[in-house]
Amino acid sequence: MSFVRLEDVSVEFPIYQGSSRSLKKVLLASTTRGNLARDARDRINVRALNEISFELRSGDRFALVGANGAGKTTLLKVLAGVFEPTNGRMTSTGHVTSLLDTSVGLNGDATGHENIILRGMYMGIRPREMAERAASIAEFTELGDYLDMPVRTYSAGMMIRLAFAISTCIAPDILIMDEWLTAGDARFLAKAERRIAEFVGHSSILVLASHSMELVERWCTRGLLLHHGRIMTIGPIEEVIAAYRKLTEELLAIEAGAAAA
Amino acid sequence: MRFARAVSGVGRATTFQDGCRVTQLEAVSEPAADTIVDLLASSTRVALAVADIRDGFAQRWLWIQLAHQDMRLRYRGSMLGPFWQTITTVVLISSMGVIYSKLFHTPMKDYLPLLTVGLIIWNFIAGMITEGCGTFDAVRGIIQQVKLPFSLHAFRLVYRNILVLAHSFVIIPIVLIIFPHPIAWMRLVEIFPGLLLAAVNGVAISIFLGMICARFRDVPPIVASVVQVIFFLTPIMWPPAALGSNQWWAVLNPLYTVIDVVRSPLLGMPTSPHSWSILAIVTLCNCALSFMFFTRFRARIAFWV
Repeated sequence: MSFVRLEDVSVEFPIYQGSSRSLKKVLLASTTRGNLARDARDRINVRALNEISFELRSGDRFALVGANGAGKTTLLKVLAGVFEPTNGRMTSTGHVTSLLDTSVGLNGDATGHENIILRGMYMGIRPREMAERAASIAEFTELGDYLDMPVRTYSAGMMIRLAFAISTCIAPDILIMDEWLTAGDARFLAKAERRIAEFVGHSSILVLASHSMELVERWCTRGLLLHHGRIMTIGPIEEVIAAYRKLTEELLAIEAGAAAA
Repeated sequence: MRFARAVSGVGRATTFQDGCRVTQLEAVSEPAADTIVDLLASSTRVALAVADIRDGFAQRWLWIQLAHQDMRLRYRGSMLGPFWQTITTVVLISSMGVIYSKLFHTPMKDYLPLLTVGLIIWNFIAGMITEGCGTFDAVRGIIQQVKLPFSLHAFRLVYRNILVLAHSFVIIPIVLIIFPHPIAWMRLVEIFPGLLLAAVNGVAISIFLGMICARFRDVPPIVASVVQVIFFLTPIMWPPAALGSNQWWAVLNPLYTVIDVVRSPLLGMPTSPHSWSILAIVTLCNCALSFMFFTRFRARIAFWV
């Protein structure tokens, strides 16, 4: 049985840029103060997530929606265990597979076949075991002889096929996906959907972040709408989509008003 | 499933129960003034850091495989493969050997083995330090997507450098056959604790530098130039005896102690009396410093890279 629970999770992190990335300038600033001090404070604290609480159980298909910068990806990373909450707590059971970025864990200079083994290792699967799965992965990607070529020669769509096929070669308990998957072609999407439906049938949890309401509506049963790192709406998917549409309209109205004024 | 009990430990603890993996991520918050909470938080941090190092080491198969993969990919398309490095070292040693044995008025048969062993061990140390700048930055893609113990990246880096060392180590017996030295066979076992300590220091340094360099982007070039300067300050190309009465300058150099404890047994020379103790103390300090840093900032690494 898999399970995810977030209690008052907040994530806050400083964005370092410009001279705060330089040790020399930071050191100088701490000794001389004055003008240099301001340079070294090129530091912005971002509160990407604010007191997020929810619970997911086996069989849940959960959507994260919201505008760009609402905190969807940060939340996905917290769920994947990549970011540790700076406040609150996250508890989860089950094997987590995250598909946040296609290229990650793929080595551009290695061939498709080698990458199957390589990415498998990052997932905790030993090469010998992965080799047994390689044939079915290759079949799922439909990439054929391209798998003998270095991955850097692949198109975005081919990368997606490969990354998805590898990551889902064992049924994860918790599957975390960012919206990039939707860049695949329609036939592949249908195939991916069938595979995911199979997992969720086997009591896995799916968390999907997307801007495509059609996709979200078809794949998910529940969801949450994030706005500036806070939960605006959480509940059945129809409600969330309605809230998202309303929010978008409101934002557009505000913009139109500002433009008119 | 008894959930609460399984995670009653601290922060990021991964336990196996009922064949299921239980993960808990708890905030290691930075409370303002509340000292009690602060104490709790720092003990949590320590436990998390210890768990990270333990889990990282436990996944040996992974970092060993990844290091081998690194080697394969690094030398892809070159016929000699990792032996390229070996050839480079041979060329460097033979050309430097000719010139510097004249400069130091030392016979070739004494100088060349000294230089060879010294340079090979130095390459090992310097490799770990310079690559240590990218411990986390070089694998940022992985850190951003897959939850792995951070220490695993340091183990992978050090193990990769051990593999490189192994490829150039083959030069040493060849040089020793051409220029025979009285080898005390019993003493050869001494090189293993020496190399082990070097590797332990390598892990500590690559974690420490990896974090600093992820946070401050101007550090890697600084490290690179410092390493270059240290190369000339350390008795690698020259015997410490050449300093005459100032020999202690060299003897106290921690990097020299690493070279000394490996080189002396190989060349049948006495190890300098303080080398082992200096090396032991430096290793302890190094690990302590690195661990403190790791404990404090571990959770930030994912945001820095």
